[in-house]
Amino acid sequence: MGLARYIALRVAWAVVVSFIIVTLTFVLLAAAPNPSVQEAATQAALQGGDPQEAAERERELRGLNEPIHVRYVDYVVSVYTLDWGWSEHRSQPVTDALWQGLYYTAQYSIPWTILTLLLGPLVGLYSAANMYSWKDHAATGFAFFGYAIPNFFFAIVLLLIFGVWINWVPTYYQTDAPVFSLDNAIQLALPVFVLVTGSIGAIMRVSRNESAEFMNADFMKTAKAKGVSTFRAYAYHVLRPTMVPLSTTVVGQLLAIFWGSSLLVEVVFGIPGLGRVTYDALIAQDTNLVLGATLFFTFIAVVGNLIEDLVFTIMDPRISYDDR
Amino acid sequence: MLGLIGAGATVGLAGCTGGDPSDDGGDDGGDDDGGFGDSDGGVDHDAEELPEVGGRFTNMHHATFTTLNPLYNTEAGAGSAIGYALDQGYTFDADQELFPLLYDLWTEDGGNVWVFEIRDGLEFSDPYGQVDAESFVYQIEELHQSDWANTASSSDWAGINVEQTGDLEFQAELEDAELLWPETYTPLEYPIPKDLVEPYVDEEDDDGLRQNEELIELQFTGNLGPYVLEEWERGAGTRYVRNDDYYLQEADGVPHLFSNAPYFEELRVDIVEEEATRVGALEAGEADTADIPPDRFAEFQENPDVDTYTIPQPYNNILSVNMRDNGWNAGPGNLFQIKEFRQALACAINKEEFIAGVYRGNAEPHFTWQPQFSNFYPGEDDIPMFGVGDLYGSEVARDLAQDAFDQSEYDYHFDGDDMVTPDGDQVVLDILYFPGSATGQLRAEYTAQELGDNLGIEVEPEAIGGDRFNNEYWTADPEGGEDPDAGLTWDEPSPWNPGPRSVTSNESWDMSVVFGLNTYPRNPQANDVFFDGATTMYNPVGYYPEFDAEGLFADARSAESQEEIQAIFEELFVNLAEEQPYIMLAFPDDLVGYTAGLRGPIENFSNGWDFPTWHY
Repeated sequence: MGLARYIALRVAWAVVVSFIIVTLTFVLLAAAPNPSVQEAATQAALQGGDPQEAAERERELRGLNEPIHVRYVDYVVSVYTLDWGWSEHRSQPVTDALWQGLYYTAQYSIPWTILTLLLGPLVGLYSAANMYSWKDHAATGFAFFGYAIPNFFFAIVLLLIFGVWINWVPTYYQTDAPVFSLDNAIQLALPVFVLVTGSIGAIMRVSRNESAEFMNADFMKTAKAKGVSTFRAYAYHVLRPTMVPLSTTVVGQLLAIFWGSSLLVEVVFGIPGLGRVTYDALIAQDTNLVLGATLFFTFIAVVGNLIEDLVFTIMDPRISYDDR
Repeated sequence: MLGLIGAGATVGLAGCTGGDPSDDGGDDGGDDDGGFGDSDGGVDHDAEELPEVGGRFTNMHHATFTTLNPLYNTEAGAGSAIGYALDQGYTFDADQELFPLLYDLWTEDGGNVWVFEIRDGLEFSDPYGQVDAESFVYQIEELHQSDWANTASSSDWAGINVEQTGDLEFQAELEDAELLWPETYTPLEYPIPKDLVEPYVDEEDDDGLRQNEELIELQFTGNLGPYVLEEWERGAGTRYVRNDDYYLQEADGVPHLFSNAPYFEELRVDIVEEEATRVGALEAGEADTADIPPDRFAEFQENPDVDTYTIPQPYNNILSVNMRDNGWNAGPGNLFQIKEFRQALACAINKEEFIAGVYRGNAEPHFTWQPQFSNFYPGEDDIPMFGVGDLYGSEVARDLAQDAFDQSEYDYHFDGDDMVTPDGDQVVLDILYFPGSATGQLRAEYTAQELGDNLGIEVEPEAIGGDRFNNEYWTADPEGGEDPDAGLTWDEPSPWNPGPRSVTSNESWDMSVVFGLNTYPRNPQANDVFFDGATTMYNPVGYYPEFDAEGLFADARSAESQEEIQAIFEELFVNLAEEQPYIMLAFPDDLVGYTAGLRGPIENFSNGWDFPTWHY
């Protein structure tokens, strides 16, 4: 099977997976009580009206009295045409809310991801090359410190030192700073630093251990015997095979921290990103926005898995598509 | 429901909290500033020389706004954000006098018919023209009084007959006369252009009205607010620029200082959820104002770059005790239903230590359903001061508890230091608290300790989320029904009073310090929502008054003079102090920091009423 066919099949599978998830969300949604119906009934009760009548009227207005298959078709069409409804909690279309959140999240998560992917394996490789020396311990200690200290706490401490006491950075994020400006870089320095220190630990440890396996491999001995430079030996003969198993870990981990860790950092630094959009929607029981966020992250996960598989095959030519 | 739940509350129904510059605050009837706080300081409204216009004012807020659509907003924070760009009808000044903004209103028949007189020269943005009586009457009749729009004010205007009587004048005829009607805020309306909402009225399209961009983005506000909203960045806050045409600059009967107001070129409200960051921004000089948590207030009082203010407010700290059938899970019967037992609880908690320990002294003790600054607060000789002096301590609490045991059909008693059940086990109760508020856990733990020390009850604090508490514990499906023993019928049950004591929430609970409630010091009549008999709209705890509360509220509604109202409410509050429907603990002050040198803030319930005149 060729690469193109493999990709086509993987993409088709991704579509099927997303369809299954969309269907499941519909089932859950249909089974849950609709808050707007409850709200209408409460409002009617407060005004001395008939709550039952108000609830019926609201159901009719929202199309909830339609047969379930009609509602399902409407729902699926809406999802795939990006008509994700209105966010009651933010008074804007769901797609706008997610887009705005992504706009701010991307500003710190892109540098965070790049730095993590660059620094994690490099520090791991450095540790492996100097295994059990003080350099290894220092690098490991640094990685573990970042991993162990809670992002939330670390962020507040750094904010206090650099924002309030020394006044090098603003205490909270200003959305009016242009994206590509020194002001924006300065105000994002602390969030990115906190996130990078929090996420390179695991990657560094995995890459250290993986690298260690290849340090004394036959092909490394051959390379050294041929007079290959140290840099080239590490970069081509150690780092590359190390990245193969690591790529699986990295994509999964980054997807997880993309949402979880970013929420806490967004709360501390006042960044109106995707983490806060989603969390606030959950707290406010903003069904449309929660659903939109779920679909968005589903899409990210499906695409992430796809990319992961493709990267896997490209990085290691020994992996074939035949059994897939 | 706006403004019902307040201090200590964790979910979004909070009403005005005096610390926010544009919050309207205030009370009626005040004749001096002694009650409602200090009206000294602030700005000199009659200064000859006007301040220069310039700079930016940055306000911090802790939560995002759900909507800025004036017709649908029910949040205090969003109300402030709207208020920077769009005035409402009136406010109350530092002397608690009604201060007309868009309109004045008065009654000449003892509160039955109220006349609204709109200022001339109020203009919407193009193409909507002048604000007139027709736009207000249309808004009230076609939106608030409709059965489809469900606006935030819809329950306020039910049964009120509104009539246009001139281009700039209309009147409202109430079902029952109400002398303190302005103080209920019911007549407080935003101006909304008729032409803007008419298409939605014709279609009965509430979604369209709710989602209209001109309403949400406040694009119609013309000269009607001190600032013009430039941008609402969801999640980040709002940005405004000065409104050069603000109508109060030319208005008659307003202090001279308004003639060039406002005095900041720019204004912004920045949303930062983390308290440490907000306080840090104030400390670093990046914000001009922020709330300060009690444990850091003393530190800021020493900070020369920040001016600190303690501002009285009407939301209380209470210990709610569940008198319904799923309360009192220690054993048979429910001792919370017995007045003397609630008094015993009140006597077991030292209010002064509570305030010192939880609020570092920045609160007032709470004895009856009014703060002491209220003009309706009864004399202290008339009410029992549970929790201080002779009415605090183990001995007095145990005596009252013993009285309650004697009235119970079950054999509760003291065994040594412990209060025990008929089975001989120590009474164990839970107390729910919200861990996200700065003081929630402290309040619960102090209460638990006092009830253990003074009444021998083992109290177990339990943390709970605010929404979960509200949905599963505090409210229930309205069922209605009868309580034959009490001779009561629930014809109009609500989620907050779903029926007799046999109708309960999904989860059982004993005590809670999660929510505090409003005490409405400007207009105590509004407290009928809590205490107008056992069947009143808001009674989650299942309290049955043992005095004629309904009769007193009815008397107050038909009262013809301020003095009569005063006497009725004083009687009401004496009875409530006696019965402790909720165990009353404290009124915490709002603790607010402003950048040093800001002229305007006052330690008064009405702080912020004149925000357009604030300046450096």
